[in-house]
Amino acid sequence: MQTFACPNCGADVSFRSPALPVRICDHCRSMIVRRGDALNALGKAAVLPFDVSPIMIGTRGRFEDRPFEVIGRVRWGWTDGSWNEWLLLFGDGSNAWLGEAMGQYLLLREWPLDRVQTQMIRRLAAGERLPAGTSGELDGRPLTIVDARDATCIAAEGELPYTAPANWTIYSVDLRGTDGSVASLQRDGEQADLYVGRYVSLAELAPTGLRRIEGWQVPTYGQ
Amino acid sequence: MASEAIISAAAEVPAAKALSCPSCGGTLSLKAAGYTVSIACVYCGSILDVANDDVRLITEYHRQAAELEIPLGTRGRLKGVEWEAIGYVERSEGGAYPWSEYLLFNPYHGYRWLITNGRGWSFGEMLTRTPGAGHGSLVLDGHGYAPFFRGGRAQVDYVLGEFYWRVRVGEEVVTDDWVRPGFMLSREQNAQEVSWTVSELLSPREIRGAFGVRPPRKPWPPLPHQPSPYAGDMKKLVWTGVGTALFVFLLLVVMGSGSTLLRGNLPYALDGTSRTATLGPITATRPYQAIAINAHVPQLDNAWVDLDYALVDRKTQASYEAYGLAERYSGRDSDGDWSEGSRSAEVKLAAVPAGTYDLVVDYSAQRWNSGLSANTGFVSALTPDQREISVRVSSGSFFGSNALIALILLFLPLLFFLHRHVKFEQARQDESDVGRTGMARLFTSSDDD
Repeated sequence: MQTFACPNCGADVSFRSPALPVRICDHCRSMIVRRGDALNALGKAAVLPFDVSPIMIGTRGRFEDRPFEVIGRVRWGWTDGSWNEWLLLFGDGSNAWLGEAMGQYLLLREWPLDRVQTQMIRRLAAGERLPAGTSGELDGRPLTIVDARDATCIAAEGELPYTAPANWTIYSVDLRGTDGSVASLQRDGEQADLYVGRYVSLAELAPTGLRRIEGWQVPTYGQ
Repeated sequence: MASEAIISAAAEVPAAKALSCPSCGGTLSLKAAGYTVSIACVYCGSILDVANDDVRLITEYHRQAAELEIPLGTRGRLKGVEWEAIGYVERSEGGAYPWSEYLLFNPYHGYRWLITNGRGWSFGEMLTRTPGAGHGSLVLDGHGYAPFFRGGRAQVDYVLGEFYWRVRVGEEVVTDDWVRPGFMLSREQNAQEVSWTVSELLSPREIRGAFGVRPPRKPWPPLPHQPSPYAGDMKKLVWTGVGTALFVFLLLVVMGSGSTLLRGNLPYALDGTSRTATLGPITATRPYQAIAINAHVPQLDNAWVDLDYALVDRKTQASYEAYGLAERYSGRDSDGDWSEGSRSAEVKLAAVPAGTYDLVVDYSAQRWNSGLSANTGFVSALTPDQREISVRVSSGSFFGSNALIALILLFLPLLFFLHRHVKFEQARQDESDVGRTGMARLFTSSDDD
């Protein structure tokens, strides 16, 4: 972990990941970008709206026997709601996203888009807009678009692989398989990123350090 | 600064967020902040949009909110987890077959559904995977689900409370349902997406314990996914029956012939004279046993032999008596050759105590003096010494007839349960769009249809 002083307010800001370039100051909400040892404050992130998510920065868990820690979050909104994407840092320095929507969780890792051969994903990446219900496949597994919409960044916190300015709008496509596998394509202008993973349950992640919510019993999972 | 973060991390956050209804001004408590998209005000019924930071009025109503069987905000424990009822939807098929769904929430476990049509309650969870296809059925987690309802149109008639999607009264989805005992698998489709829910039928005790509601004990017609209460009894009875039948069969094999205590031959003539013979000793060793006396008369034809037995205890002179008759007739008439009767006679004495016995036999043999049979009568060429009755006394013999009665008694309740089970399954399946299958169909009579 590296600790620096926030270029805006001087508060301590720490980077748990050596690789991630962006950190939002817990104190003044400045978006700090590091290049080598140089830190620059790039405007301010919006305040996160209140929610009752049981996850928070610092929550730890295991995914497929590999321990992780939650180090960042982006909250996205669209016309009919909003969802959280929690950034997980694994022991080997790799990261993944834990999507949280409608009380369900998805664990997704970035997938090299340049190696994808299948039509549907390529067309989406190339800038096409396809309606929900469109079916295709990825790496031999069938996937159907369940949602395709513009999403806007509401707020963010912690460490991030990119800057997430408020009101940043992307085209976001959710795809589902039949066996619980999922994929998500996020497109910002020319730039497209693909994430692939599956549904997970909180119990399966056996998290510790969950957020304590008044009047509810925090489940303890066997460690 | 860092210490501040640690303190806030350890602190509890509130479970609800207060907001006021732009229509009636009532204070609403948002329970699933961050997830909830729509709220139907619990005071005036107005539908509000909270998808974004502000509260927007979508549809204004001024009506008394419905009194719910489970008031919103009620918590109950189901399957080991505490749930709070935060939303309520009334649905129907174009106004018919109404049912209600409560949206349950726990911030650590997400959402569940509590579904009732007034006859029972089910606990539903949305699936994150699609069931597989089997032979005319669906397969989920290794369980097969049979089709039940097809192509239903479910509409939303009334909403109250908060929801994680944009609710709209009048919204319609196409529904299909599959069942297995105790569980229902439901598919809902609208223009955009398909969603799957699996729901488990709750026992009256479970739902009463969790939310204090009392469903009818024996709903009729049965619920689509209600397990036949007779199936379990029937299964038990079938296994008990099979087990007992095997046991009885084994008894018959092992003990049926019993162990021979004595063999003896009694000479006779077909002259009607009474003779007496004493056979012994016969030793019965078990505290009590069944004793079988078998008499066989090899050459008997158109004649009969009367046998009066007395099994006499040598010590106590206690006597156990029985009567046997061997008779055999044959001849020829307009229909051809005929014969009836048996050359053997077996009698049984139940529960003979241990002891040493003599068998005293009073017997007589007689020819059947019928004109018809005169020429086919006893073959006189036989020498008298061949005319012997062979007598065998055996113990422990298991009464085959008793075994049969036992088996009938055993299978009678099974037939009764089978009848009840079939009636139940028929009533249950008659509610479906598929009609009767399996046993319910097998036992459907033509006038029953």
